[in-house]
Amino acid sequence: MSTPALPERPLPTPTRESQGYWEGMQEHELRLQHCTACGKVRHYPRPVCPHCFSMESEYRKAPLGGAIHTWTVCHHPFNFFFKASAPYIVALVDMDAGVRVNAPLRGVTEADLRIGQRVTMQFEMVNKETTLPYFVAA
Amino acid sequence: MAHALRGKAAVSGIGETAYTRGTSKSGLALQLEASLKAMDDAGIDPREIDGCIPYFPGGGIAEDFIANLGIKDLTLSAFIPMGGATCVAALQMAAMAVATGVCRHVLISVGRTGYSGARVSTRLQQFPQFALANEFEAPIGMFAPAQLYAQGARRHMELYGTTARHFAEVAVTTRRHAILNGNVVMNKPLTVEEHHASRMISDPFRLFDCSLESDGGAAVIVSAADRARDLKKPVVSILGVAEGHPDSPASIAQRDDLLEFGLVKAAARAFPMAGVGPKDIDVAEVYDCFTFTVIRQLEILGFCKTGEGGPFVMDGRIGLGGELPINTHGGLLSQGHVVGLNHVIELTRQLRGTAGNAQVKDAEVGLVTGYGDMGDGSLAILGRAA
Repeated sequence: MSTPALPERPLPTPTRESQGYWEGMQEHELRLQHCTACGKVRHYPRPVCPHCFSMESEYRKAPLGGAIHTWTVCHHPFNFFFKASAPYIVALVDMDAGVRVNAPLRGVTEADLRIGQRVTMQFEMVNKETTLPYFVAA
Repeated sequence: MAHALRGKAAVSGIGETAYTRGTSKSGLALQLEASLKAMDDAGIDPREIDGCIPYFPGGGIAEDFIANLGIKDLTLSAFIPMGGATCVAALQMAAMAVATGVCRHVLISVGRTGYSGARVSTRLQQFPQFALANEFEAPIGMFAPAQLYAQGARRHMELYGTTARHFAEVAVTTRRHAILNGNVVMNKPLTVEEHHASRMISDPFRLFDCSLESDGGAAVIVSAADRARDLKKPVVSILGVAEGHPDSPASIAQRDDLLEFGLVKAAARAFPMAGVGPKDIDVAEVYDCFTFTVIRQLEILGFCKTGEGGPFVMDGRIGLGGELPINTHGGLLSQGHVVGLNHVIELTRQLRGTAGNAQVKDAEVGLVTGYGDMGDGSLAILGRAA
């Protein structure tokens, strides 16, 4: 039996709405969609502001700090690309900018995890089109 | 004033195939096999079906039912894209259709090769409801419901002290019920120790906290209440039914409260519509994609307060003979995964008084929930007609 080829990493397909977020990642910045009319932030990206219904928006640079809202530790690789890295922690973080980001948390052991723990976003280039976020302890 | 839909529709027929892991049949064949059984159960000629709500994706579409059953004049074809909340939400749509006269007999059906065909992580990539999760979460290693829902479960544990022991109680009780049913994938007893020793899937979910990937078909027929009285089986009336959609419906991560499911809104409508409260419920078939999901839904349904769901399930309360028997057929955890249509079938059986070894004594009113996608919810309250 031959060894099956390693599956490709799942990659984001930026949309017209989300392109600014992914461009920010490539420049190691967290850029979030803000309503140009009322100024409110929204994530994940979408065409209409749910607060004032404006369709005008822009991407603004946001701070990289946040606090852990919750987490999971992924043991079973539902996509075998991630088999080698399992188990890995994925933290859901309340960013200081007022949205949440789900990303791997590195350099922290499972036993030390707690809600409210401060973390900082970092960036990892996975290929020349795509950079993804991860967190480390602040 | 009574709600316009209250008691206007009834579950008139139920059918299911064998639940297995491994089949040579297609999803469509399983779906049609279950559908024919449901028609036979009701005493309805297949050509009399005039409404068709198949679970999608997987199995067939209305065109397949027309072609296979010889339906001459289908008046309603619909999909309900709510994942695990689909089947109970379909009861609402079917009730609306028969109460208004658009349809006489609506067929709700599921056919699934969840074991033999595409597995969960592949299947979900096809759901438009998962587009945001696919863009923002799949690339960082979060694909499957076991991962996406685990974060809510972990938060519940951290905030309220819910434990793996509580999860195990749901798994073990459900398994005990499955063994009484017989038509189940998991037919050997499960202990708390075996639950705790099972491999971790996505913390805090272990293997035995997760529902099955299985093959099988299930079908239910909803008929107008007055027509149902002329059919073969005792009338099981739809007293209350509702669907509910959570805020931030396509992303759990961005929801203010991860533990707010659409069921919050559905329950606020379905209970008053039925004119009953949690204390009136004799048996509950609760969507059990994960053990924790059952615990949280029991809180939302008002059987206990938020945070008390863990202790609530202990001490035999949710077992047969307990205060609130749940998932008396073995659920998605132990019977089979047909997206919860097996829960509707079991509740119907309980209220007909034909649930065999798992019969809840004198069951008159029961509920069935659906939970799907990123937290869509649905609730039906059924009653044995007097």
